[in-house]
Amino acid sequence: MGDSQYSFSLTTFSPSGKLVQIEHALTAVGSGQTSLGIKAVNGVVIATEKKLPSILVDETSVQKIQSLTPNIGVVYSGMGPDSRVLVRKSRKQAEQYYRLYKEPIPVTQLVRETATVMQEFTQSGGVRPFGVSLLVAGYDDKGPQLYQVDPSGSYFSWKASAMGKNVSNAKAFLEKRYTEDMELDDAVHTAILTLKEGFEGQISGKNIEIGVIDSKRIFKVLSPSEVEDYLQEVE
Amino acid sequence: MSRFEESAPARGGFSYDLCKRNEMLMQKGLKPSSYLKTGTTIVGLVFQDGVILGADTRATEGPIVADKNCEKIHYMAPNIYCCGAGTAADTEAVTDMVSSQLKLHRFHTGRESRVVTALTLLKSHLFSYQGHVSAALVLGGVDVTGPHLHTIYPHGSTDTLPFATMGSGSLAAMAIFESKYREGLTRDEGVKLVAEAICSGIFNDLGSGSNVDVCVITKGKREYLRNYMLPNPRTYVSEKGYSFSKKTEVLLTKITPLRELVEVIEGGDAMEE
Repeated sequence: MGDSQYSFSLTTFSPSGKLVQIEHALTAVGSGQTSLGIKAVNGVVIATEKKLPSILVDETSVQKIQSLTPNIGVVYSGMGPDSRVLVRKSRKQAEQYYRLYKEPIPVTQLVRETATVMQEFTQSGGVRPFGVSLLVAGYDDKGPQLYQVDPSGSYFSWKASAMGKNVSNAKAFLEKRYTEDMELDDAVHTAILTLKEGFEGQISGKNIEIGVIDSKRIFKVLSPSEVEDYLQEVE
Repeated sequence: MSRFEESAPARGGFSYDLCKRNEMLMQKGLKPSSYLKTGTTIVGLVFQDGVILGADTRATEGPIVADKNCEKIHYMAPNIYCCGAGTAADTEAVTDMVSSQLKLHRFHTGRESRVVTALTLLKSHLFSYQGHVSAALVLGGVDVTGPHLHTIYPHGSTDTLPFATMGSGSLAAMAIFESKYREGLTRDEGVKLVAEAICSGIFNDLGSGSNVDVCVITKGKREYLRNYMLPNPRTYVSEKGYSFSKKTEVLLTKITPLRELVEVIEGGDAMEE
């Protein structure tokens, strides 16, 4: 493919009109651990696999799902350290918005600003794109919302989405299972079932992470015991 | 092209660039602009379960009372509050800014904010502005290490005390504290003492007046008692009302709204590729 000559430089288009570095970034995302999100009528749930590299790792020290504001949370697929940088920047942007307007930042605005940062890193010299896709879940005056942001900086609002290793199976599963009038509890069960589809090994409260936000507008990461309770209900 | 501005310490601080020009203008007769001072009596004390902060509610602009019921007890964190004396804009801006920094810090660490963190952020900011940010603060709160009370001076020095007063009414309030404070006060005794100290400032200092605000902070709980006492109610309101003399002509007033509703443009949020 003539593209390979243009694949090293981020800021050069290939003859087919693509920025090959961004394609490679999406590949990095595609080889990351599966994560997914589902928007329900009264809330949003995001979930991810938490496969640790060895049994010696202290799983209580790892938290993949983070909150950006009290009412917005995020999960990623891809390179963990890249997501940390984005989370830090997004939190700061949300805080700056609040200081300026004395209003909690709407979900769409925060997504837009995060996407802008990711796009800047595809058009600057000496940097590389972020190797993560983010699923941002939030609840504000417009109701529950779920957005996916890609390394290129493009974002879409989704009713349900998945990313990472098992993306095609997970999305097919979600397409079949998703209903418009799903409630939050159903959504959590569906999320667990979707993760279970492609899960290697025994699923438990310790190797998946679930974050929910309901109409009370507080984003919460479920504790391992709470996840176990949901797992019991599903079985 | 905006690069990744790291959260490194800001290159802030007082800039001396315009000092010479300002002095020249003053010599030529330019009067410096007036600003809203808080006059103020603010106090804090440590009691057996935590910290109680108190403040009056008068804001002055020279000899005029600009705000009869302003809020001088500012929120810093769910477990930390700060009273401010000095220039009202300075105290509000500096407490707002540090409150914002503490919030980000809580996100990053996942822990409750500590009073010494707020203290250090405030004092380093005030020091870098060499006293030109005219904010004198009483900072109090309860964190994992216990209850804390500090005073912060505009130049950036701090004290850690069991009871403290600041502002123009500080001497009047301190007189009350020095005679009646003791360790291990209960909540009701503490609130009564704080209210007494603030009243002493209200009645004996011109820069302080109106009402008493109290804030009680204990482990896991805080009560913001806005207008806890109202010792200066408006006593006489004319029943006859006011009327214009016959010579004045009152024209008809009509209010025309410029625009009825805000138009919401649908579908403006999704990205187009």
